[in-house]
Amino acid sequence: MTPANNFIELDGLTKNYRESGRSVTIFENLQLSVKRGELLVLLGRSGSGKSTLLNLLGGIDRPDSGHIFINGIDLTTLSEHRRTLFRRHHIGFVFQSYQLIPTLTVLENLLLPLELIRRIRLEDRDKAAALLNELELTSRLDTYPDRLSGGEQQRVSIARALIHDPLLVLADEPTGNLDLQTGQQVMSLLDKLVRQSGKTLILATHSREVMGIADHIFTIRDHALIETGD
Amino acid sequence: MNTILNRAGRNFLLRHPWQLALALLGITLGVAVVIAIDLALDSALQSFKQAERTVSGNATHRIIGGEGGLNEALYRKLRVEHGMRNLAPVLQTYLPIRQNPELKLRAIGIDPFTENAFRSGWQSGQNGAQAAIRLVTEANSAMLGRQTAEALGLTIGDELIVTTGTGDHRLHIVDLITPGSAAATEALRNIVIADISTLQEITGWFGKLSYIDTIIPETDPRTTRTRLADLLPGDVSLISIETQFESMQQMTEAFSINLSAMGLLSLLVGMFLIYNTMTFLVLQRRGLIGNLRLIGVTRRQIGRMIVTEALLLAVIGTALGTGLGLLLGQLMLQPISATVDTLYFKIDALSLSVSPLQIGKAVLLGIGATILAVIPPLREANRFSPKHALTRSQLESGTRRLTRSILLLGLLLIAVGFAVGFMSETSIQLGLASVFLLLFGFALLTPSVTLSVMSAVETLSGRQFGILGKLPPRMIGAEISRTGVAIAALMIAVAATIGMNLMIDSFRVTVEQWLNTTLQADIYVSLAGDKPARDKAAKDSQLKAAITELAEVEEVSTVLHTQVAAGGMPVKVSAFELTEASKNGFVFKQAFDAELWRAFEEQQTVIVTEPYAYHNKVKAGDTIALQTAEGLQDFKILGIYYDYSGDRGRLAMSRTQYLHYWPDLGYTGIGVYSIAGSDLNALESRLRDRLPQGLELKSNRAIFDASMQVFDETFLITETLRWLAAGIAFVGVFGALMALQFERTRQLGILRAIGMTPGQLTGLICTETGLMGLTAGLIAIPVGLLVAYVLIYIVYLRSFGWTMAFHLNSAVLIQGLLLAIFAALLAGILPAYRMARTQPADALRAE
Ligand SMILES: Nc1ncnc2c1ncn2[C@@H]1O[C@H](COP(=O)(O)OP(=O)(O)O)[C@@H](O)[C@H]1O
Ligand SMILES: [Mg+2]
Repeated sequence: MTPANNFIELDGLTKNYRESGRSVTIFENLQLSVKRGELLVLLGRSGSGKSTLLNLLGGIDRPDSGHIFINGIDLTTLSEHRRTLFRRHHIGFVFQSYQLIPTLTVLENLLLPLELIRRIRLEDRDKAAALLNELELTSRLDTYPDRLSGGEQQRVSIARALIHDPLLVLADEPTGNLDLQTGQQVMSLLDKLVRQSGKTLILATHSREVMGIADHIFTIRDHALIETGD
Repeated sequence: MNTILNRAGRNFLLRHPWQLALALLGITLGVAVVIAIDLALDSALQSFKQAERTVSGNATHRIIGGEGGLNEALYRKLRVEHGMRNLAPVLQTYLPIRQNPELKLRAIGIDPFTENAFRSGWQSGQNGAQAAIRLVTEANSAMLGRQTAEALGLTIGDELIVTTGTGDHRLHIVDLITPGSAAATEALRNIVIADISTLQEITGWFGKLSYIDTIIPETDPRTTRTRLADLLPGDVSLISIETQFESMQQMTEAFSINLSAMGLLSLLVGMFLIYNTMTFLVLQRRGLIGNLRLIGVTRRQIGRMIVTEALLLAVIGTALGTGLGLLLGQLMLQPISATVDTLYFKIDALSLSVSPLQIGKAVLLGIGATILAVIPPLREANRFSPKHALTRSQLESGTRRLTRSILLLGLLLIAVGFAVGFMSETSIQLGLASVFLLLFGFALLTPSVTLSVMSAVETLSGRQFGILGKLPPRMIGAEISRTGVAIAALMIAVAATIGMNLMIDSFRVTVEQWLNTTLQADIYVSLAGDKPARDKAAKDSQLKAAITELAEVEEVSTVLHTQVAAGGMPVKVSAFELTEASKNGFVFKQAFDAELWRAFEEQQTVIVTEPYAYHNKVKAGDTIALQTAEGLQDFKILGIYYDYSGDRGRLAMSRTQYLHYWPDLGYTGIGVYSIAGSDLNALESRLRDRLPQGLELKSNRAIFDASMQVFDETFLITETLRWLAAGIAFVGVFGALMALQFERTRQLGILRAIGMTPGQLTGLICTETGLMGLTAGLIAIPVGLLVAYVLIYIVYLRSFGWTMAFHLNSAVLIQGLLLAIFAALLAGILPAYRMARTQPADALRAE
């Protein structure tokens, strides 16, 4: 039922929240197709539902109706367990507030997603070291996250999202907590690393500066997705 | 401003109903247990006093003899020859009644012509003394309390059928007593009043009295006292009724202190619950507090807000606790007085009496404990700077520094605990204080020990299970201010449980061994009948002869348990006729040979039980002066023997020695030794056939079982209370772990987002709580052993004078460890279940 050439396919996606007994619709009957390797930017006012959509795509939330196909697999029909395993292998998350594990060092935070997949090998450590090197974090390997600046934390979080070679990277306002300059730096790193490895990236933001690097730009408005031309 | 500030606080509280409920539960249960124990213990004693006071009225002193009773002639001599006034002769016994075989009425024989000055219960009734006159004029007449009569379905004109050593007797009810006050009504429950001669007749106590009450006027006490005392024979004492109450209260002191300690343990654990909740509420609000400080709220205002909250909790919790305490107290009254009954003295009428003082004490304790528990979180709140709320890890790095100071304080407390233990001499309170200090000291060591254990575990599990293996110990170490407290509380509860279990176990084994040694005869006959009854001695000795004549019987030993006087107070004495075999039943603290047994038989000597020696501070070689009709007589103490049948102690002397000075009151028990190889069942049934009705026969096995049952019943309250304390601790640990996982929701959300399955997360949480349980259990084992040592060698020795052999039951240790792990695991399951059902997206949104 899915077109084979579309990496992501949303079909009639609807999400409501129950808020003090009342049902609030975030979006209704969304349709979207994304090809492999594309960079898609999601715009929208705060509260428009960008995070909600990313969460649905990443399988950490469930829609009220509709289907989410990623690489031909319908996330909405998977059990909680299967969905988790899918996420573990194929999805990388970058959050606005970094969301690193405070009790693990930088290196450990980085290796944890890999360890969930398989036993850590020597080459995994090399790979992690190389990635951190690229992100200019080599000297912070054994530091705990709360000793890092926001920009450094976000770079660790980008590394964590990429370490296990996911098919899809979801970035939710990754520069939202950073100053302009650091934000630009982080954004260009993200763009570089994701593009380099040919992964698909969906990036939610409400700043229009990143529009230059996007393949497609969508805006959530009035519970619907609207493609905005460049 | 202030009301909005309070509203900000209140709204926050109401969003955490579970934590609130836990704090309330902590205060409520702690206060309830303290009140309940206090009330039940006090009420048991008060009930006893009230009943005695009602019966004896205004009497200030009492003339008492041995268990054989006083000679009625003494009363006549005092009144007629010496013209003494205000003497109230009393004969007292317990009578089983036909109408309700379960019930024994306390029968009090009085002289209706006793002066009204006494105003005793029966005199102050409706018809008072006039009705009492009918007791003399009408044969076999008696009065009953109205309440008792109603309960038995009897009224004036009916007959009460009572059973005594001389058979069944009918007592004609001539009047019902309706005392003025409710307390007196309560105290006169289960009492039947008759004329002395009526009671003498139906019990066979001809010419005997139980005691004579007297009023010694306060104006000239010394002269009257001396004059009266001089007129009394040597084996009769004049004691003040107040002194008698005091000495009875003293008897139960050790028992009371030990129970109260259990109450305090509950409160201590309850305090932990309050501390935990308040800390949780403060930490959760560090953002809110930071913001409030930013907009200009002062530290003092923040402090006031938190203290107000705590006080509100304290007041509600204490009120609930007082209510629950009254209820629990009512429930505990029966078992506690039953224990007092078995161990010390008989309490006839029981009612819960509550004094404002007791309630005040509990209120003070509840509120005081809350204030104490809220101090650390209050200080924590004041550390939040107005510029930025501290992050959790910043708070924790401060805590780690604090851990070191706490470690030192803990070591100090332990040192003080040991010092107090060693220097406490005979004080039970100090002994218990040492237990508390040790427990608390080790609790303070817990955070440091936990950190070391966690770094060791991390190294091991990290090697084995990688980063996932490192996570649980890291998480415990990272939040040591919360985890440490939970582990410490669990450790205290488990260590106390282990300590108590080891102590009870050691005690049990000791008593079992003692019973096995002491029960030498094959069959024991226990003889009923009131000791003052005129023909008891003759009947008993006929019975003994009859038993000795049986073909299967090799020999018999006998014992008479009674009381004599020493220093004006009654002392328990056992007069023995021992066989060679029964001598083996005594185990002495020092070597005891045949020579000494000869002295025991032939010279004026006694052997004393260990509690007697302990409480009276005597040793072998000392002498005890006993009151006899021929004046004071010195008895040399030959040795001290182990005896666990009572905690006040007794003397034992040979029957020959006893009969030199005291009247023959027959026997309390006869031990039957069969000829080797004879059929014990056959012997038992032959004895049954031969002997008069009402005698009890017991094999030594049956006595053993019955004694162990009494032992277990005696410890029932202690055990119940211990489980209650452990239960509160468990709720506390449960709450702490729940709060911890709750605070961690977002972190768990991240783990789920990066691909951890609900199953793995459950594993992670349970590994963490399980590790906490394991740590608590591991620390609790040595601490529990230490507590057991202190309980056995200090507290119980001092309380009861018993030496126990330390019996190390490793099953108790393993049970304790498993209990800790199980409790912690259980506390992990609910948060794990909740997390498994939460979508990671929602968890990530949580603050
Ligand atoms: N768990 C939830 N319960 C109720 N409402 C929610 C929940 N999560 C998000 N919302 C609401 O859904 C809307 C969209 O939220 P979100 O996806 O975070 O927006 P954005 O990321 O675009 O700022 C907001 O109005 C938010 O309040
Ligand atoms: Mg958002």
